[in-house]
Amino acid sequence: MSKGVAITGMGIISAIGNNVAENYHALINGNKGISRVKKIKTNHVNDIMVGEIAFTNSEFEQQLHLSSDNNYSRTAFLGVVAAKEAIKNAGITDINAYKTGLVSATSVGGMDMTERYFYDYLENKATQKYIEGHHAGDSTQKIAEQLGIEKSLVTTISTACSSAANSIMLGARLIKSGLLDRVIVGGADCLSKFTINGFKTLMILSDTYNTPFDENRKGLNLGEAAAFLVLESDAVVQAENKTVLAYVKGYGNANDAYHQTASSDNGDGAFLAMEKALKVADFTPADIDYINAHGTATGNNDLSEGRAIIRVFGEHVPDFSSTKAYTGHTLAAAGAIEAVYSVLALQNNVVYPNLNFETQMKEFDMTPQLELKEKPLKTVMSNSFGFGGNCSTVIFSKEQ
Amino acid sequence: MNTDFYIKSYCRIKDNTVSLNDSVLFNDASKSFIDFIKSAYKNQNTKYPKFFKMDNLSKLAFLAADVLLKNENLKLENDNNIAIVFSNRASSLDTDRKHQESIQNKESYYPSPAVFVYTLPNICIGEISIKYKLYSENSFFIFDNFNASHLLTYSNSLLSSNKAHEVLCGWVEFDGENNYEAFLYLVSKTGTIKHTEQNIITLYNT
Repeated sequence: MSKGVAITGMGIISAIGNNVAENYHALINGNKGISRVKKIKTNHVNDIMVGEIAFTNSEFEQQLHLSSDNNYSRTAFLGVVAAKEAIKNAGITDINAYKTGLVSATSVGGMDMTERYFYDYLENKATQKYIEGHHAGDSTQKIAEQLGIEKSLVTTISTACSSAANSIMLGARLIKSGLLDRVIVGGADCLSKFTINGFKTLMILSDTYNTPFDENRKGLNLGEAAAFLVLESDAVVQAENKTVLAYVKGYGNANDAYHQTASSDNGDGAFLAMEKALKVADFTPADIDYINAHGTATGNNDLSEGRAIIRVFGEHVPDFSSTKAYTGHTLAAAGAIEAVYSVLALQNNVVYPNLNFETQMKEFDMTPQLELKEKPLKTVMSNSFGFGGNCSTVIFSKEQ
Repeated sequence: MNTDFYIKSYCRIKDNTVSLNDSVLFNDASKSFIDFIKSAYKNQNTKYPKFFKMDNLSKLAFLAADVLLKNENLKLENDNNIAIVFSNRASSLDTDRKHQESIQNKESYYPSPAVFVYTLPNICIGEISIKYKLYSENSFFIFDNFNASHLLTYSNSLLSSNKAHEVLCGWVEFDGENNYEAFLYLVSKTGTIKHTEQNIITLYNT
């Protein structure tokens, strides 16, 4: 049994950068990655904005030295890039030296290729390779192959927008229970017509830059991204004399039990997830220094999450902000993206600004952090809430 | 880790048959899945109109859970801390295809919000949670095959760390009319069947 769950490596690719350093640079300089969609031909091009990654699929192919007969979806490309950076960052040279598992989250999977070739599959044999790449587990398998993880726990979690937070949680529990020594956890999701059209019909896509926690918020921007963290047990950290970036201190998951796609008015699920995470961490609300909120900038989420935060923290709400204005909502990857941002916040003692905010919400008087703020941070709470009522909270700390 | 847990009850919907603890409750071999599940719903006196707007995977998972949980006589006014841990192979593929067709059809382009909301496997967990007021931990895993070992470890961990009092877990797969199967079981601190990998596999295969 391992008491602590150490984070010893991180990797990320998002609309604001192709690695951890680039993402951090954009975060502290307030550079957002939201633009008109370029790589997907959609009728909605002028109605929506997205967080898109600059590299094309063929550029990824070259970076990863893949032959042209590969059947990688964009989700898999993103996932491999981020996972490889995490392994390198953790200084891992022999991945199988310890019992190492992989828990990867996705909701889009290989949908991008399916929608591109759907009607060609019957006639065009060359496109049929992408059928195998469609399912949610395929990108996970490809990441495992690329990392050389053999004969160990390799699994995919799909619980909508809380998926990656649940990957972190499962990884932490696998280490605590002693089942694995090391777990690579995170998630990947690319943009697709599937999600663009789906979220559009739900009428929760903004036609301009998303504005989390603003009274006049118009909805979310979809984004694509992947991020992975290397979690290691106390024993591995000791044996290898590892530098620990931060610890996974607490985690909680609850169901909102309210609606398939909407959060309850008082944020019951969010409230329970935060409470449970505090309990696992053995923290009181006063121990939290910064909340990286889910803050999707939909009318429903920000109100529900805000109310839940007030229920947990009362009069003493810590500094909070949503980084969705930088990256867009990256769906199943969001929990991992924001885990990397939370660890960076701890390492650098900064609270990121909640961009694009103009008008105070009328339902409550708490205001997100609007400017970059430097202050000593010991703990960061990160929220991720998904369709199906799946609500998760993870707490990161500097000290074990 | 304490592993002194039991399989309290189990439910299966497969081959146009609904069974609870291996007693057949309902069978109608003559029907397509859509008609069969509707007849089963009526036969089981489920009385939950939201059932009719669910997608196939949710209908399947919901009905199996409902048959099993109804038998538990839960008091809904109490907080029932029953975690839900489901798994399958095809995720929400059946509904994904419907949404996909609706956005690729140039003549009648209409992505429906009512379809899109079901394009995630864990929505069926939400449906069960809404009905039974379960504010509990829940996860949906994707595996190639029924993975008794993972479900066992995960539910034991939830129970022994007191994150849940009971765990509703199992396999809910819907990948087309002729390829569906629900096998759910309730893991508890009381019961007669020991919660072991072998017992889970035996129940799943019988």
